[in-house]
Amino acid sequence: MTIELHNVKPRYMSESEVAGSDIYLQPSVVFEQGRKYMVCARSGHGKTSLLNFIYGISDQYDGTIERRTENGERRAESGERLRLSVLSYMFQDLCLFPELTAMENVQLKNRLTDFKNDSEIEWMLDALLPEGKKHQPVATLSLGQRQRVAAVRALCQPMRFLLLDEPFSHLDHDTAAQVATMISAEVERQGAGLIVTALDPTDLFRFDKTMQL
Amino acid sequence: MLQKLQRKTLIPAQLVGFALTLLVGATILLLALQLGADLKPLLNSQTDVFRAHTVTVSKNVTVFKTAQKKGIYFSDKELDKLKNQEFVKEVAQFNSSTFNVSAAISFGGQQMSTDLFFESVPDGYVDIQSDDWRWDSTSNFLPIVIPEDYLNLYNFGFAESQSLPVVAPGLLSQVTFNVFVEGNGKRRVYESRIVGLSGKINSILVPEEFLLWANREFGAADDKGSSRLLVEFSDASDERIAEYFKANGLNINQSELESSKMAFFFRLAMGFVMTIAVIIVVLSAALIMMSMNLIVQRNREMFVNLRNIGYSSRQIARFYKVVVSLLTVAVIVLSAVIVVWIRSYYLARLSTMFNTGGTLAPTIIGTLSLAALLLVISNYSLVRTIKRIIR
Repeated sequence: MTIELHNVKPRYMSESEVAGSDIYLQPSVVFEQGRKYMVCARSGHGKTSLLNFIYGISDQYDGTIERRTENGERRAESGERLRLSVLSYMFQDLCLFPELTAMENVQLKNRLTDFKNDSEIEWMLDALLPEGKKHQPVATLSLGQRQRVAAVRALCQPMRFLLLDEPFSHLDHDTAAQVATMISAEVERQGAGLIVTALDPTDLFRFDKTMQL
Repeated sequence: MLQKLQRKTLIPAQLVGFALTLLVGATILLLALQLGADLKPLLNSQTDVFRAHTVTVSKNVTVFKTAQKKGIYFSDKELDKLKNQEFVKEVAQFNSSTFNVSAAISFGGQQMSTDLFFESVPDGYVDIQSDDWRWDSTSNFLPIVIPEDYLNLYNFGFAESQSLPVVAPGLLSQVTFNVFVEGNGKRRVYESRIVGLSGKINSILVPEEFLLWANREFGAADDKGSSRLLVEFSDASDERIAEYFKANGLNINQSELESSKMAFFFRLAMGFVMTIAVIIVVLSAALIMMSMNLIVQRNREMFVNLRNIGYSSRQIARFYKVVVSLLTVAVIVLSAVIVVWIRSYYLARLSTMFNTGGTLAPTIIGTLSLAALLLVISNYSLVRTIKRIIR
């Protein structure tokens, strides 16, 4: 599957603001499944907007975004179908439920996809979180710990692309590397594409392409 | 998990408020429906078919008039005068038979016979409901209505004093007898049955169509006019009515006027109560919708997050739909139970006074349709509210 952007620009940004972008207002930008893309930009340059457009929860843009199969046919999934089996998204604001525990947050998603079993989820959380944290309400976890929970949750579904919005902004390099390894493993296992946004280029994933937004 | 998340968003005080208002509204509404249906036969026999504002009017019989019988009939002039009164809407006349009538019944070989007279009034004024109240010129069947008082006189007076069995209205209408109509040298036998008892018209009634035909066929030519009238008022509570009738030496049955007024006020009160009940039910529905709206607004972020991780608006709405639906159904069923309970009390009281024979159908139908209506409206608005928030 490919994701193709044609002349995309957020409605709320002027042309001068997006001048020089590798993506916005470009006649054709193609993300291919199985490849890893890094999208770098300073704050306020529309990183989250880009992922929201692709994920289909915002339509505040001009231009077109299409998904095509290997044969070049258009894929028209939308809504829950798109979110549960085609695209997975780790939100910058995490979208966790503070009153639920880390485990429950992941299960809440996994119930929809039935993609992992409970022991797999526990194993993933145990690998990333300090002992005993997985059964604590997310409200009691640090921002960095929450980020790891959100990362695990994003892996609990079949996907063609995984979108990560500044996934390691609150993690030290070692922890980030640990999370990145787990993500890479799942992405490669599923043969999915990866689009990661960040303020500065990182070397945590072996990116095929780095773009400036 | 989703339930655990959403349970905390409910606002118990608002749910209780909804349940209480709905309970009050639904109970009053169902009770009014049920009471209305239970009392309908009673009201109908007293006033409905007889129209709300109609009374029987006759002239006072005086010593002078006993000698001069013509004095008890209404002249055309008197009729016109009455018709032109402001408070009079319509005047209908009693028609009397101008031929000889006798009825015969045989009890185990013993023939009993009596002379009778017939009168008729326009069909709309006859206060009975029976499919048999119809005359067909090709058929030999002649339906008859007698005053309720006749039966009461027999049951409570005659039968009592002579140790005879009392007769129920239903039993009375099973008895068939022969009616002989004679005049102008012609004679005909009809098979006849008492198809109803009139609480209003103190006469032996046959269908008007029959009487008019029989008067032409068997009757004497001279038309004496009517001695009694049915007068329909535009407003029975008009004070001029009593004055006018007194001044003109007319006799009006005051209790008829009172009971039609009472029935009118009963209906008015019933309509008023129903309106209030409907308003309360509508308010309760508005309350639960506003509560749901508030929940969605307050927890907007949670709803959006659920959407973001792949929940559909239908899945998000399900918990609230279940809660609201269960609560609605439980409350309405409870109202129905309360109504049935109250009904058993008032029926016990009423049955000592009247012949009541209603069913629970109004409560059952009311319960089902009210529940169905509320469920459809609340579920629809819930999904719409949630969809609007998360698109």
